[in-house]
Amino acid sequence: MNILFANFVVRAYVAGALVGIAAPTIGCFLVQRKLSLIGDGMGHLAFAGVAIGVALGFSPVWGALVMAILGALLLERLRARGRLSSDLSLALIFYFGIALGVVVLSATGKFNATAFGVLFGSPFSTTDYELVVILALCILVLAVTAVFYKELLAVALDEETARASGLPVDQLNVLLVVMVALLVAAGMRVVGLLLIAALMVVPVATGSRLAHSFRGAMYWAVGAGVLSALLGVVIAVEQGSLAPGGSIVLTSIGLFFVAAVVGRRAARLHTRGGGQ
Amino acid sequence: MTVAFENVRFGYGAAPTLEGVDLRWRAGEFIVLAGANGSGKSTLLKLSLGLLKPQAGTIEVLGGSPFEAGIRRRTGYAPQGLRMATSLPVSVTEVVAAGLAPSKGLFSRMGRLDWRKVNAAIDAVGLGDLSAECLFELSGGQQQRAILARALVGDPSLLLLDEPTTGIDRGLRPALAAELRRRADAGATVVAVSHDPDDFHEVSDRILVIQDGQITQITHAEFHTHFDPGAAK
Repeated sequence: MNILFANFVVRAYVAGALVGIAAPTIGCFLVQRKLSLIGDGMGHLAFAGVAIGVALGFSPVWGALVMAILGALLLERLRARGRLSSDLSLALIFYFGIALGVVVLSATGKFNATAFGVLFGSPFSTTDYELVVILALCILVLAVTAVFYKELLAVALDEETARASGLPVDQLNVLLVVMVALLVAAGMRVVGLLLIAALMVVPVATGSRLAHSFRGAMYWAVGAGVLSALLGVVIAVEQGSLAPGGSIVLTSIGLFFVAAVVGRRAARLHTRGGGQ
Repeated sequence: MTVAFENVRFGYGAAPTLEGVDLRWRAGEFIVLAGANGSGKSTLLKLSLGLLKPQAGTIEVLGGSPFEAGIRRRTGYAPQGLRMATSLPVSVTEVVAAGLAPSKGLFSRMGRLDWRKVNAAIDAVGLGDLSAECLFELSGGQQQRAILARALVGDPSLLLLDEPTTGIDRGLRPALAAELRRRADAGATVVAVSHDPDDFHEVSDRILVIQDGQITQITHAEFHTHFDPGAAK
């Protein structure tokens, strides 16, 4: 049987495609609000959660999920109080999470290949149980986004006006960062905690080069996210020794450059068309 | 009474921006707020919107507190200039539709009637041909008109507009002013901050000037005699 259709590779495709859909969907709201680095911060914190989970003997996914949600609430609180105006607070949280994770894992003698898998992704070792968890988390994120789309967009466009017109801005902000936390946990196995934020941002940058509307950019971003995940997995399988997390993100960046060129040409044609 | 201030005081530092402000804005009134930069015009709007808390005194808006979500949903606000990140493209239609999100309520989707309202608001500011275009690729005046449409789309009972004509061609301003007058005639209270009350000379009921933290009502003639718009700019 062709290795590209082996069970472990198919599970990697499915996990990658799910995260490839959900991550850019939420990423659109983050990028529009200039919160692109929040996903990175939560990924770093989730590493501490994984370490604590491993040390206490429960699933790394749940450790990452709990720590990412706690981190999300802390980050949102700091942001709402205006304490994230400089990147210093965010950096402190990043380094605290990663350092705590390394210390806990090394103290328990488990700073090994598992840690690298968590940090940089290991989609080929996705179990059926993890696939179900990833599916559930991604469906939850997409369902919440669909229900609150118009409110999330209104806040992303202009937080002050949204607040002035009666939207529950603080609660919507908390909802958004909690969804990021869910995605961090979902994407941990696919691209790793250090790279999951890339899937929330890079496909969105690709979408922004090709569309004239927020919804259009979101559709393009989702397409780019899924394509990156699938192509990244194929490249990793074909090459044999490549880390799939890295190949997924590099594919995504490659798609961005293609979109930048295509988008620039399309913009020129649009301008010429408008001038006639 | 749409808006009532009683002995309101507010300041950003030690010196108050507004001191002992009493005012009454009624339904159907079109009011122009004038004054020099930093005189407190935008502050007055933000107090009315519940975006700032008065340090003393009371503010009543539409019969309740400006901090209540139900009251806020009945207001339309157009801030001065574009206040959104330009990271992602956003169409004019999307920006204007965002103005309907609060009045629609959570869990409800936009229906055909809602999109009709969005299109009507876009047409009202003369952007019908550009509704599918990316906002950030439009001129400053066109962007300002889209922001104005976002404030109008929910048919609010109170319209608070901060420099709504900034960047808009002089030739287009009378039509926009007439649209705002139409809203006032339909029962809304329209308050427009402006450096140049001439934009609303034909349509406004009152000019209020803020100076040294106090509010004075004047006529157009008095404005030009005592408050030179050139100096105000």
